[in-house]
Amino acid sequence: MEGQRQTMMGNQAITQGALEAGVRVAAGYPGTPSSEIIQNLAGAADEHGLYVEWSINEKVSLEVAAAASLAGLRSLCAMKQNGVNVASDFLLHLAGSGIRAGMVLVHCDDPGALSSVNEGESRHFARMLELPLLEPSDFQEAKDMTKWAFELSEEISNVVMLRSVTRLSHASGGVVPGTIPQAQGKAHFDHHGTLLDKGHGPVSSSPVVYKHRLQQEKLKRAVELFEDSPFNSYTGPEAPELLVITSSICNLYVKEALALLDASGRVGVLKLGTTWPLPPKLLQHNLGRCGQVLVVEEVIPFLEENVKIAAAEMAGEIGAKRFFGKRDGTIPAQGELNPDIVLGALADILNLPYQARPPEYDLLAQEAAPQATQDRDLAFCPGCPHRASFWSLKGALALDARDGFICGDIGCYSLAMRPTGYGMLKTLLAMGSGAGMASGFGQLGRFGMDQPVMAVSGDSTFYHAVIPALINAVHQKSPMSLVVLDNSGTAMTGFQPHPGTEANALGQPVPPVDIEAICRSLGAEVTVCDPFDLEATQAAALALLADQSTAKVLILRQLCALSPQRKGTKPYDVQVDPEKCLGDQCGCNRLCTRVFGCPGLAWEKQSGKARIDEVICAGCGVCASVCPQGAIIKSERA
Amino acid sequence: MATAKLIHDPYNLIITGVGGQGNVLASRMLGNVLTSQGLWVTIGETFGASQRGGSVMSHLRVSADGSWSPQIPAGKAHMVLALEPLEALRVLVKYGNPGAKAIVNDRPILPVAAIAGKTDYPSTEELEGTLARLTAQRWSIPATERAMELGASIFANIIMIGALAATGDLPVSREGFEAELLRALGPAKVATNLEAFDLGAAMVRR
Amino acid sequence: MITRGPRQLLAEVQQPGLCIGCGSCVELCPYFRSHGGKTVMLHDCDLPEGRCHAWCPKTELDLEGLAQELWDAPYSAQGMGPHLAVVAAKAGPRLEAGSYQAGGTVSALVCAALEQGLVQGAILTGGRGLDTAPTLAQTPEEVTACAGSKFTAAPTLAALNQAQAQGCGPLAVVATPCQSAALAQRRAKPWPQRGAAGPAELVIGLFCNWSLDPQGLARFLAQRVELASIRSMDIPPPPAGVLQVETTDGSLEIPLDEIRDLIPPACAMCPDMTSEWADLSVGMYEGRPGWNTLVVRNEKARTLTEAAVEAGWLVVEEFPVANKEHLVHAAQGKRSRGLGAALAQGLLGVSGEDQPKALRVSPELYQAVESGEVA
Repeated sequence: MEGQRQTMMGNQAITQGALEAGVRVAAGYPGTPSSEIIQNLAGAADEHGLYVEWSINEKVSLEVAAAASLAGLRSLCAMKQNGVNVASDFLLHLAGSGIRAGMVLVHCDDPGALSSVNEGESRHFARMLELPLLEPSDFQEAKDMTKWAFELSEEISNVVMLRSVTRLSHASGGVVPGTIPQAQGKAHFDHHGTLLDKGHGPVSSSPVVYKHRLQQEKLKRAVELFEDSPFNSYTGPEAPELLVITSSICNLYVKEALALLDASGRVGVLKLGTTWPLPPKLLQHNLGRCGQVLVVEEVIPFLEENVKIAAAEMAGEIGAKRFFGKRDGTIPAQGELNPDIVLGALADILNLPYQARPPEYDLLAQEAAPQATQDRDLAFCPGCPHRASFWSLKGALALDARDGFICGDIGCYSLAMRPTGYGMLKTLLAMGSGAGMASGFGQLGRFGMDQPVMAVSGDSTFYHAVIPALINAVHQKSPMSLVVLDNSGTAMTGFQPHPGTEANALGQPVPPVDIEAICRSLGAEVTVCDPFDLEATQAAALALLADQSTAKVLILRQLCALSPQRKGTKPYDVQVDPEKCLGDQCGCNRLCTRVFGCPGLAWEKQSGKARIDEVICAGCGVCASVCPQGAIIKSERA
Repeated sequence: MATAKLIHDPYNLIITGVGGQGNVLASRMLGNVLTSQGLWVTIGETFGASQRGGSVMSHLRVSADGSWSPQIPAGKAHMVLALEPLEALRVLVKYGNPGAKAIVNDRPILPVAAIAGKTDYPSTEELEGTLARLTAQRWSIPATERAMELGASIFANIIMIGALAATGDLPVSREGFEAELLRALGPAKVATNLEAFDLGAAMVRR
Repeated sequence: MITRGPRQLLAEVQQPGLCIGCGSCVELCPYFRSHGGKTVMLHDCDLPEGRCHAWCPKTELDLEGLAQELWDAPYSAQGMGPHLAVVAAKAGPRLEAGSYQAGGTVSALVCAALEQGLVQGAILTGGRGLDTAPTLAQTPEEVTACAGSKFTAAPTLAALNQAQAQGCGPLAVVATPCQSAALAQRRAKPWPQRGAAGPAELVIGLFCNWSLDPQGLARFLAQRVELASIRSMDIPPPPAGVLQVETTDGSLEIPLDEIRDLIPPACAMCPDMTSEWADLSVGMYEGRPGWNTLVVRNEKARTLTEAAVEAGWLVVEEFPVANKEHLVHAAQGKRSRGLGAALAQGLLGVSGEDQPKALRVSPELYQAVESGEVA
């Protein structure tokens, strides 16, 4: 469909750009909002002769991509914002040593933490590690910029960082696709030159000062290219009242806000696609247009600070400016932006009145608001094994009665910090940090701490970052227990394979690395249970709590309800026998609907009985084990 | 290609529902049908965590010239396509205006807090009354019920698209949709989905 | 009759440390469970009233109200509760020798009640040493397997609830005074609409001065012996003043003074030494090893005792007046100490008043406690 405009998701546009650039190798670790990039490239691998993998973590994925670049193949690496933290140690050294064939690191930030437990800014790595940074501002640019990033990377012999955000990666818009070239070139790693020869010698950031100087010289070349880049553009009057400097998807928010305010005649917009290092001449020309500047970006004032530094350096030429942005609170420095926030800031600065709709309607909406305010708290899916797992862990910790607690980790099961998982998680930080912190809590018995501690981890998270923490706990004799919630895939991000699965990103058979065998080989005692067997799971968890002499592992293995194997299948027909249902009487008090809380259950107020909502029920049958009356009946489906 | 004329530009459509109802697929199919008319479509959506029983919205901006913000500004929805009644209300409170229209699937999905008895889901009468006050035109249709008769609740999406097409607000033709079904789902699934589309259309035309 | 719900049960009993883990609230519903001697609430229940609270021996134990309801007589601060007779008793020839500790009277009575068809089973405390568990016994062999003194309270009534839920028919319970009080609550406050859980057909009470916190005792003993090696424990009659622990490696004597801290605070406010709410009560016979004291409290108990003697399960003899006076004195002593302690902790109230109380007595008795006349 070359040449004809299509509506593409941002991540698809990035994929298309990489394919048009002739990318040969791609690697990444799943993380919203970045996951579709590697997924799409994997889908295109056969047709275009690519190697694509889901690596064990972001650092390894960057190493895999770097190897390809050093062997002369264009490569791409994709991850979410905090993945860059994981990869950053390698990235620091790679930036120092430089690369050969074009290599692009696509990092997708999540302003507002729509699918994250942080809204970390990965843009700062570009400045910190002295790498060029590109930020596409719409869908077409996402494609075009990705393609150009490979050329830039080769021009400066270094990694180019391309930053997307959720509202671009996961939004869709018009893109005209170009030509995808034939795959060509043999991979070969040239290592016969001297250490000083970046193109042909061994690869290292040493000698450090020498290579650092080379890196900085190349970065200056990038700045030269940025001065004339079509990805930086100005629209508006020659001498506006206010100059808006913006980047990324915020550009569309500015466009919208100016349209709604009908203020395009008063405001100029400098949209920057090359946001680090900033091109000084371009900046000087545009800052010279007026005395007031508003910087619109997400999340913390990265662009704003860099513009201010540049403005200070050229103060003699452009004079003093009045800056609006995050530093002065005109725009919040936390959470995502939207057209309304930008509109509010512009209306304030320009002193323009704005009313989105008539006040009478606002009044009606206010009256209706109380009905609409009840939030839908996120819940484990119907049939989710995590609900059953946390039900049993909750029971075990209650019976143990020593105020024990669970350190959480990153995945669907992070939701167990909320009511859907009975508020069971008491820490929730970074990938792998549940086990690491439990290892630390376990050492505090010597200071009088008498609470038992458990950690949970998903299967993908286990490989990503839990293994070192578990080794630490075993070796340091920390009395903690690790519960691996093994639902056989990277469920949260859409079922990507991981080292425990039998097929890789390309669908080819690969040897699964067994979690149980890893744990045993480390010297940890291991129990395996089906979390749908509530009684056995609670007993196994209680046993872990009773003897905390060493680090132990409980693997709770059951397929995700959305897994390709289970989705759409319903193992049981589940029904409530209203004769037996006790409802809210003493002896039950709505255990299934009020406490267990699966969305597949419903409470009939009139009759005072529970009911199964067959549209939602996934037929796992766990609620039948929860019902104290045997009133929930599951029967195997024919 | 001649671009279809729009009654508003950009035309702002919000498809809303609850995680797992399939409105992401619905918004993409609709987007593709409109793109094939030469229109620019920008779709903003959230998924990931919101798949897990949360409120899910897709914002569709349809325009004759260029991309728009993937987030519709407050008070600027022209049409709300709601797979769940409470979600229709939630969207109208923020994005509604005196000219807003809504097509609402009448089947509630209780929030977990309501299942747990911690909150009350508004009664049908309350909801209907409020939705009427907040819209210029409104269709309440039993999309899930009809979908179950067709064999799966997921067809409710297609019924809703059929209903939207029948309002005539956007250039979504039966033929255009059929082509998209063929492209997106393959020939085996076209007939039933087209039946769902016709069911939805009939409910609005009636 | 005042009944509240599970949240109040937690606030009034669990949190102040008054729960003695009798199991009365356990297994009635999915919320309360017993583990390691502790009763715990697994999930929050917000009902305004429930059987858990109604039947707990540490909430609203209205001595006066229960006496009127169950005995048709006022609650007396004197003596050892209502009784028809006090006799010396021991197991008869039908019970296999060597299969019981002390006099074997409890085992003998249970066997007789099973044989008579008075009950279909009995809830006893089985296990050895520290590892005790309530058990349903339905044959003489199962009964004698549970024989032997235990010094930690077990969630006996949880087993009653389970057995009743399984439809076991009329049951006997061998109960400590607090468990007897819980069973009296059931007799006085039936919830007929909630299935099988309810009163026991026959309550064989035990004499008790106090029990020991199971987890505390386990930690205490673990520092002295291998817990798994403990075969049995006994507290011989005064003046020994020791807890004898028999292990596979020999025996160990622990002065009682060393374990007094392990007595749950709830025991201090218990006014009952002889299980006065039971149908019959059995205790040791000081100065006569191999015999028990048996208090026959009502007609049902008298019929059972006579049948047990006739069938050769039980042997009875006259109980000396001097010993009975000594027993009455000891029972009164515990009652006055218990009521005094309850008063001091603000847990004693007058029947019919509104504020939540653990124990209630008639206005007259309350005044007597307050003025120190009972003590």
